[in-house]
Amino acid sequence: MQATTMETVLQLRNVTKKIGGRTIVDNLSFDVPAGEVFGFLGPNGAGKTTTIRMIVGLISMTKGEVIVKGVSVRKQFAQAMTHIGAIVENPEMYKFLSGYQNLVHFARRHSGIAKERIDEVVKLVGLQNRIHEKVKRYSLGMRQRLGVAQAILHRPSVLILDEPTNGLDPAGIRELRDYLRKLTRDEGIAVIVSSHLLSEMELMCDRVAIIQGGKLIDVRSLQDTTDSPQARIMIDVGNTALAYQVLTDSISDLKISILGKQLEIESDKALIPDIARLLVKADVDIYGIHSSHKSLEDQFLEMTGGEMVV
Amino acid sequence: MSNFRDLLRNENMKIYRRPRTWLMIGFLILSLLLMSGLMKYDEVRNDSSDWKQQVTEENQVLQQEIQNNATADPDFVKNMENEIKLNEYYLEHNLNPNELSMWDYVNTSAMLILLVTILTVIVAADMIAAEFSWGTIKLLLVGPASRTKVMLSKYVATMGFALLLLILSFTVAFAAGAALQGFGGLSLPHLSVSADGIIHESSMIADSLQQYGFAIVSLLMYVTFAFMISAAFRSSSMAIAFSLLFMLVGNSLTMLFSSYGWVKYLLFANIDLTRYLAGNDPIRPEMTLTFSIMMLVAYYVLFQLVSWLLFTKRDVAA
Ligand SMILES: Nc1ncnc2c1ncn2[C@@H]1O[C@H](COP(=O)(O)OP(=O)(O)OP(=O)(O)O)[C@@H](O)[C@H]1O
Ligand SMILES: [Mg+2]
Repeated sequence: MQATTMETVLQLRNVTKKIGGRTIVDNLSFDVPAGEVFGFLGPNGAGKTTTIRMIVGLISMTKGEVIVKGVSVRKQFAQAMTHIGAIVENPEMYKFLSGYQNLVHFARRHSGIAKERIDEVVKLVGLQNRIHEKVKRYSLGMRQRLGVAQAILHRPSVLILDEPTNGLDPAGIRELRDYLRKLTRDEGIAVIVSSHLLSEMELMCDRVAIIQGGKLIDVRSLQDTTDSPQARIMIDVGNTALAYQVLTDSISDLKISILGKQLEIESDKALIPDIARLLVKADVDIYGIHSSHKSLEDQFLEMTGGEMVV
Repeated sequence: MSNFRDLLRNENMKIYRRPRTWLMIGFLILSLLLMSGLMKYDEVRNDSSDWKQQVTEENQVLQQEIQNNATADPDFVKNMENEIKLNEYYLEHNLNPNELSMWDYVNTSAMLILLVTILTVIVAADMIAAEFSWGTIKLLLVGPASRTKVMLSKYVATMGFALLLLILSFTVAFAAGAALQGFGGLSLPHLSVSADGIIHESSMIADSLQQYGFAIVSLLMYVTFAFMISAAFRSSSMAIAFSLLFMLVGNSLTMLFSSYGWVKYLLFANIDLTRYLAGNDPIRPEMTLTFSIMMLVAYYVLFQLVSWLLFTKRDVAA
């Protein structure tokens, strides 16, 4: 994978947060290279927002270190923040200011953001028609877009978005996905998104870290999962009972079940031709065969045991 | 990394883009105009064309009182003697004491600094707390500026607002005075009687500025206090309520307990430095100007330190 050869822009080392004797985030360590969209996946209360708050310095770490482009967030906060753009939970803006004034406000904190850059970002998030209106009159999705605009104004190396799709319409989600791709590809930004919308993460991320109860359970590349031979095979047949009989007799240890007029088989894709031959030989009518990868959602539920709030 | 001037511009933008701020400014100007109008109305209503006779009669009454109360409190007698001296001076120099000069408007406006203080306290109380209520604190702090710098920009912006209101008060009162009385009184002296019973002429503008100066001391203390409360509570309504409550109740509490020695260590017992001017008494006899100034400095440092600790060291989980 090309991303691993890129420079590492964000490092978490044994990041831990304890509040009142409870460990909310437990020894989290991972690296994010430039140009990668890194997903942060976990059920409600897993510690995603808490971790993000530590990365951006809103809350202190009990232990550990966050390093952005070689700069420690703990030791050189202001310096580290020049490389970070973020939205933490809902993007709250100054409601009595216009969208544009809000952007001017955030632009002023960084040195050398020209007016043209503000206009460029406004266009990128598609707010050019409403940007001079008071934020008071914005919808949730519009505020979300303004939040993204604010976060990328200063061309950060690391963009952190906590549940960025919250409140966006399908077109907005698609646009977000597209410009995150564009940012990573063209500007080499590393993007960290947290979400519990698993299907979203699948489309958006190169890698996901799965956390539960504050612990890192797994980091996996999504390319690997799409290449994995494990598949769910659905076969639409005339006589389900007969087909079931034939297949269980011929192939040992087959994970097979009947779903209405369909057979559901979990197996290697390579098995599909054999299955088709067996069914044809036994005179079973086949109306369709469809195979799909095990989705991230299935894997996620498998890993976290389907137990949601911890 | 953020430039302090740019942070300050941001804070100013957030103060002056709020409609509320302009309501407050309008209210202050209205109060000043109302005050000036009432003063003029009062002057016109009390016809003082025969002021020489009035002042002469007043002196006779005062003389009588002194004779009747020869054994009374020497301070009391002294005050009356001074009054007589002033009246004689008026007659001698043909100065009508009932006729207002533009400086009287400016001096009276010094009393409205209490209003300036209240308005600034409201702004100060909101300065940090509102960012938490709005949820914008997350964006404000996730930037290339240390929390200390962010806090300082907020404090300086608050003080800038106070300064604006003070300049506005002085200017509006001066202009109203000039409009109602003309510039005739511009060079009138300020008269005072010193301890040795001699009448001194001093500059009116110096007297007005002194009045403002004393009021600014209490403004500075209350506003810094409100700022600390804002950092502590992180809720605008709580911060405003607490600060105003302290301001209004503090003085009466101090008076109530003034017989106890510990009262002298309270902020309210020290905040009014005019108590050390001739003719006034401090809350406790053993208190001195130096003591009060030291107490005020100690409180100021404490407020700043607490604000700083509460703002920079706590987790932000809003
Ligand atoms: N200030 C706090 N004090 C005590 N516990 C807290 C605090 N903030 C968060 N927690 C706890 O930490 C855990 C992780 O919370 P966090 O907000 O990080 O979860 P999350 O992964 O972002 O969840 P969600 O998907 O719901 O946004 C939760 O159990 C929460 O109750
Ligand atoms: Mg969260």
